[in-house]
Amino acid sequence: MTPYMFLAQVLSEKYDVDPDTISPEATLTELGLDSLTIVELLFDVEDEFGIEIPEERATFQTLAEAAALVDELVQAKGG
Amino acid sequence: MGGRRVFVTGLGLVSPHGEDPAEVFERICLGESAIRLVRSGVPELGTDVLLASIDFEPGDRISKADLIFMARAAQMAVVATRNALEDSGLLADGRGPEEAGVYMGCGLGGAEILQRSYSTYFERRSRRVRPTTVPLIMASGPASQVCMRFGIRGPAHTYSIACASSSVAIGEAFRSIRDGYSDVVIAGGAEAMLNDGSVAAWQAVGVIAKEHTDGAGASCRPFDLERTGLVLGEGAATLILESEERAAARGAELLAEIVGFGASSDAHKLTEPSVDGQELAMRKALEDAGVSADAVGYINAHATGTPAGDPVEIEAIKRVFGAAAQRVAVSSTKSMHGHLVGASGALECAITTLALHQSRIPPTAHLTVSDPACDLDCVATVGRDAPDLETALSNSFAFGGSNATLVLRRA
Repeated sequence: MTPYMFLAQVLSEKYDVDPDTISPEATLTELGLDSLTIVELLFDVEDEFGIEIPEERATFQTLAEAAALVDELVQAKGG
Repeated sequence: MGGRRVFVTGLGLVSPHGEDPAEVFERICLGESAIRLVRSGVPELGTDVLLASIDFEPGDRISKADLIFMARAAQMAVVATRNALEDSGLLADGRGPEEAGVYMGCGLGGAEILQRSYSTYFERRSRRVRPTTVPLIMASGPASQVCMRFGIRGPAHTYSIACASSSVAIGEAFRSIRDGYSDVVIAGGAEAMLNDGSVAAWQAVGVIAKEHTDGAGASCRPFDLERTGLVLGEGAATLILESEERAAARGAELLAEIVGFGASSDAHKLTEPSVDGQELAMRKALEDAGVSADAVGYINAHATGTPAGDPVEIEAIKRVFGAAAQRVAVSSTKSMHGHLVGASGALECAITTLALHQSRIPPTAHLTVSDPACDLDCVATVGRDAPDLETALSNSFAFGGSNATLVLRRA
């Protein structure tokens, strides 16, 4: 599963976000997540992909940016 | 003691026997056990464990977004409270009475969340513990979540007094209405600590039952000569308590009246019970209720099924009741639903409420050969009709030597 697909799935299944509002351009804040919930989501992503997202890298706004960061960290780990 | 009269006007359960109070009570009166063997989460560490666990599914009764911030005990408390508010007719558009107080008992809080955080730290060697850990671990989580989910704005108190937690919560809730501080209180308890780490800790105390030759379900045997210990359970129970005036004004059904509460401390040993302390709690409760021991027809005993504990309670009952001890029915429903620790008092108070409401005394299941040291009428194996039952006690005696007794009367 790609990082974007995982984000979209966990947002709708665990965080109860309306799937129709989920798009690559959407930000987590727009989707209704508060700061504590966003950190919880990052832990879900870390657990799924076996990575650690460094605090200084967690500056993404949109889901596409978040997915790109995860992609990069996964590849860095693999390499 | 004077003051306003306090009635139970609703019950809600998430119990090892299910959620419907009438069905739960029926099964308990028939002596059906909810205790079973459950597989440990770490197979190489052993063996199946005897538990009264629940296949709990909040379903659509709690939104997914809310579940993220709720430990299992809090989820159970919210569902039990929803059931109780519905039962009492006080749930409107998903909200409860805004002015209500919330008095909940809970021993350990989010036990499984604590386990997960330790596992992250020690097994994964990582400091990246989830940020929801602290707000989910709190023992006050169940009470806080009940307030948030149902829009309750009165005081939210949590009593964490081990096995006496929710009896004290109900007792203090009763007093707050009787003494005029509240008109309606959501009172009860929740406990969910059947995670492997907690169960292992309980096993280490040396009080857990061994599987009985009659089967896993027959392993918790209070007052029986072959008893070997307690069985842990989980769940939540909520009672809606209302002043007589408030209940009457809305024509609420009265399930039972709470008439007294007594609490005491052993000042003795951490895990060894004391006849003196238990006697004192029962005497104070009867005095508080203005009821003589002769008037009591039933005692829902604390008796957990440990060899050491049960005779102590029997001796305390004999001291308080004198000659009347031979006439009072005493049963331990833990023989079927196990020991819910912080939720035990609330579940047993709910069962005592139903006993008074239905004029029916639940049994001590699996009591086939009575221990001579427990030689009272312990209502062996099946329940019985009790048309004259007017007054009952519910006992909860905790590790640490905290004792609580509630006195209830038929409404």
